[in-house]
Amino acid sequence: MRETCPTFMKTRERCAVGRADFLRGQPPMSADHTSQLRKRLRVPVIRESRQGALLLLPALIIMAVFTVYPLLDGLWMALTDQNLLRKTIDFIGLNNFARMLSDNVFWLSLEHSIELTSLVVLFQFALGLVLAWAMSQNLPGMTLFKSIIMASWVIPVAATVTMFKFMAQPDIGFINIVLKALGFSNLNRYWLGDLTFAFPFIMLLHLWRNVPFYGIAFLAAMQAIPKTYYEAAEIDGANAWARFRYITLPGIRNMITVMVTIHVLWTFNNFDFVWLATGGGPVNVTDVLPTYIYRQSWSNYDLGYAASMGTVMLVILMIYFVVYMRVLEGQARS
Amino acid sequence: MAGRSASRIRTALMAYLVVIVSVIFFISPMLWIGYTSFRTQGSIFSGQIVSPSKEYTLQNYVTIFSETDFPLYFWNSLRIGVVITLFSLFVSIIGAYSLSRFNIRWKNALIIGIFSTQMFPQVLLIIPMYLVIVDLGLLDRVIGVVLGQLILILPFQIWMLKGYFDNLPLDLDDAARIDGCNIAERLLYVIIPIAMPGISVAAFYSFVVSWGDYLIVSIINQTSRTATLTLVMQRLSASLLIRWGEVAAVTVLTIVPTILLFSFIQGRLVAGLTAGAIREE
Repeated sequence: MRETCPTFMKTRERCAVGRADFLRGQPPMSADHTSQLRKRLRVPVIRESRQGALLLLPALIIMAVFTVYPLLDGLWMALTDQNLLRKTIDFIGLNNFARMLSDNVFWLSLEHSIELTSLVVLFQFALGLVLAWAMSQNLPGMTLFKSIIMASWVIPVAATVTMFKFMAQPDIGFINIVLKALGFSNLNRYWLGDLTFAFPFIMLLHLWRNVPFYGIAFLAAMQAIPKTYYEAAEIDGANAWARFRYITLPGIRNMITVMVTIHVLWTFNNFDFVWLATGGGPVNVTDVLPTYIYRQSWSNYDLGYAASMGTVMLVILMIYFVVYMRVLEGQARS
Repeated sequence: MAGRSASRIRTALMAYLVVIVSVIFFISPMLWIGYTSFRTQGSIFSGQIVSPSKEYTLQNYVTIFSETDFPLYFWNSLRIGVVITLFSLFVSIIGAYSLSRFNIRWKNALIIGIFSTQMFPQVLLIIPMYLVIVDLGLLDRVIGVVLGQLILILPFQIWMLKGYFDNLPLDLDDAARIDGCNIAERLLYVIIPIAMPGISVAAFYSFVVSWGDYLIVSIINQTSRTATLTLVMQRLSASLLIRWGEVAAVTVLTIVPTILLFSFIQGRLVAGLTAGAIREE
């Protein structure tokens, strides 16, 4: 094939013709026509697909070295007593898992992780729907609102945490200043250092970052639903709730699936929010599995134990994944 | 008809209520930190929202530039972000193109495999990864941070770009192939220019993830050679007597680049991020 493309410039021009057609909104060539041409020219499909597979190689190599190998090594490590402070590594079977059974902080962190993930994803989903509904109204100013609202998602988590840490400061933080102005100066406290409020505050941080993403994503999916569906439903006398229940929700189901799935994974695995905001404190009330594992590995250097708890996290996520997929399949069938 | 327009007004009012509450909740924290960065320590500690005008200052910015290593950390963040963006784009564009266009053996298994690495707990992966980085002698090196952060970026980026490429008509490739373009030429002259909206979102995604990463940097970093802004912010706001004005200035300058990039991309962001979720008919 190279011979038909003698010069660099020529290739570029030829390729550009198809592109220009596409950009003008015309299909570059009909599929029938191309397949006929392909037969006549005997374009070597097989050789190409081998070259095509090669393109995936860099990604696969990187993922093999920095994801698959670490995963397998981590699973193996979970069965050892590897410690960065010790030279010898012994195989200790399931001892690490037995140790977990009587480790109160582990159970507490596990409970917090599950609580945090389920509540946060539930609230994000509900509030995201509300936000998407509001943005789908054609009102003045909505375009501007839509364009700025996702800013919270793009800024670094560390910056978000710093902002909220400052707002939560006693006496000088925005929250306490406002509370004082409203006459609640007895509530003055460092909100992230409070045994009762630290955990809800962490959830608030998650909501702050992700709700706009849900809103915009749901909105995008809603706008892809043909308007005629709603018009037909209105003629049939369906009320707002029925239209939402039987048109909007099914219409955005794919998007809901994707958003919920990735956010369950991201929230359950999330480390920075808790670590940067409270470090798991005060007295473990905000500890989640990732922060506890991080402390075990990088403060106690107890890599074996940390890896075994990481394994538990992985197993939980896999169970979630399988169950969720089953439920989805069941829904799709009915 | 009266009932109809009344309900329409009610809907509009409720929508605006949601908008107002959202603006207060989502935007005001950023305005507040920006405002704080122009106040003196005394003014911040007065516990008042508004202070006398002489208490507003640019000193916080001057201080972080002249008396701290802030410029170095900013440069580190930028350097790592740019390198990883270029590198990850190269790897994911060709990878996603390969998954989108060619008959590869075990293709579906590979796609599911790549996506499911999102499921792996990062705190678990970084333990052996740390040992790999040490073995390669890349501890406290920019390239070590870059390789580490790739595991955060690649799976999602490949999935996202594959979804985007899937939505481009196959005829495009066929036409170019018949015109005699090989794979590299097709990618370079046909697919990449057309997929630019999706690719720019992918680039944005990797830069923002790298810029905001704390986990990977925190274990690979040893000295100021690879210290990035997130690391510094964490140290500043964990110190005993916090100089909030300076912390606010650092925070503002950490946020600004991401917001700037976001402003170029915001119309396309969600469509690009969720390209894998939406199939165009």
